[in-house]
Amino acid sequence: MTDVRGCNIPEDLYYWVEKHVWVRDDGDDVVTVGITDVAQHLANRVVAVTTKRPGKLLERGQSVATVESGKWVGPVPTPINGEVLEVNPRLASEPTIVNDDPYGEGWIVRLKATLWSVQRAEMHTGVHAVDEYRAFLEAQGISCA
Amino acid sequence: MTASPIRLLDLAPVSPLRSQTIYHAVGYALGADSPDTIMLVSPNAPYVSIGRHQDAAREVDLPYCAEAGYPVIRREIGGGAVYLDGNQLFTQWIFHADHLPATVEERFVVYADSLVRTYRALGIAAEHRPINDIHVAGRKIGGTGAARMDGAEVVVGSLMFDFDVATMARVLKVPSEKFRDKIIQSLTDYMTTMRKELGEPPARETVIAAYLDACRAVLGRDIERGELRADELALAEKLDARFAGREWLEEAGGLRKPFVKIHEGVRVAEAAHKAPGGLIRCVLRVRDGHIDDVAFSGDFTARPPSMPFDLDELLAGSEISEKMVSEKIEDYYRRVRPEIPGVAPSDWVAAVMRAAETEAPA
Repeated sequence: MTDVRGCNIPEDLYYWVEKHVWVRDDGDDVVTVGITDVAQHLANRVVAVTTKRPGKLLERGQSVATVESGKWVGPVPTPINGEVLEVNPRLASEPTIVNDDPYGEGWIVRLKATLWSVQRAEMHTGVHAVDEYRAFLEAQGISCA
Repeated sequence: MTASPIRLLDLAPVSPLRSQTIYHAVGYALGADSPDTIMLVSPNAPYVSIGRHQDAAREVDLPYCAEAGYPVIRREIGGGAVYLDGNQLFTQWIFHADHLPATVEERFVVYADSLVRTYRALGIAAEHRPINDIHVAGRKIGGTGAARMDGAEVVVGSLMFDFDVATMARVLKVPSEKFRDKIIQSLTDYMTTMRKELGEPPARETVIAAYLDACRAVLGRDIERGELRADELALAEKLDARFAGREWLEEAGGLRKPFVKIHEGVRVAEAAHKAPGGLIRCVLRVRDGHIDDVAFSGDFTARPPSMPFDLDELLAGSEISEKMVSEKIEDYYRRVRPEIPGVAPSDWVAAVMRAAETEAPA
């Protein structure tokens, strides 16, 4: 775990920092998408998540899910083009897993990426991602403390 | 943040559908050069608005609404079903995300402050009850909500000239009429309006002037009257079609709240417990972790017949804990020695605790 202003930012994931979305490379152009610890902190306790259905084709920036916290509703934009392969079945009945474990049990969807080799380069990962996220959080005055 | 002026859209009353789609349109049409916008609008007819993830058929009495001519419209803002009419002035902020605080709580602090200052300028002692309620002496005066719409952060709420409590309770789908009565009573007890506080609500222009002064003070920015752009109106027309469609209304909702929230600290729930001697129904109103009001009914036979009412009185004010509720009911059994075959103290406790469990905070 890498702590950035009280937020957990694992180095082994890819990030679309300003959208607070992460991607995990599962191999064979399959990726898992979720929201970051920062996003779940900003949104507060999640009460509902609805996702696009398997088979849906999405382009980078389109909403792959909608998250409702007690007081706020917002989209989860996909950082990459692809087809929805699978949605997290637990989200319907246990939406707070997004808060409790945003990088694990609280994953949102799995996608079959269509431009992964190109679009992965447009995201941040590793130590560089942590630095980018830190700079963004400092600029925005955001912390998870 | 920014110092650029905010555009004011002070709209004439619009249809129920447009009163929802217009702020979504301004949100989704927000471009890099678009101004931040404060929109003031009221519907020209009553309707029911449901939250983004609610199941319309489960939350709202759809046949009644159809019969009464109330459209039911899903919004992209969270929260619960609410009856709306021309007695509320919607106060909607559609801002660039980086022109408002980053966290939802901080955004509500700023937004609530504008409403609180408005009410105070009108002589109403309003205060912000975090996260997003505005209260007057423990009574809620309007709710607020928020959403992200592409590049826009949208915060919505209303200034409450008046509120039709009976119709609000009527449009909800409830488990029993007793429950509905409890909703009416709870809304009456725990909601307030400008009419309730002042006798007569002030003129719309007076309220708007106070609100704009409050917004200028809270945001530290100028506010200039403006008009809707053609692209915003065109998008609103597109959204009209989507929001009026059955597919949008009937979209499966993931949000299940087996209680009705009156305000941040007050909820009403109902549960049933099957005792050997009959079914016990319990309608429970909880206020800040205590039993504010409780009503038992069922198909049991009790002597004295006043027993369920005696227990209602006995439990009012009690902390919600199995131990506290159990002690009070066992004490009643010892003192009164009721004849109620097949219903033990533990059965009443089970009914109360089951209703209490359904009111876990959102």
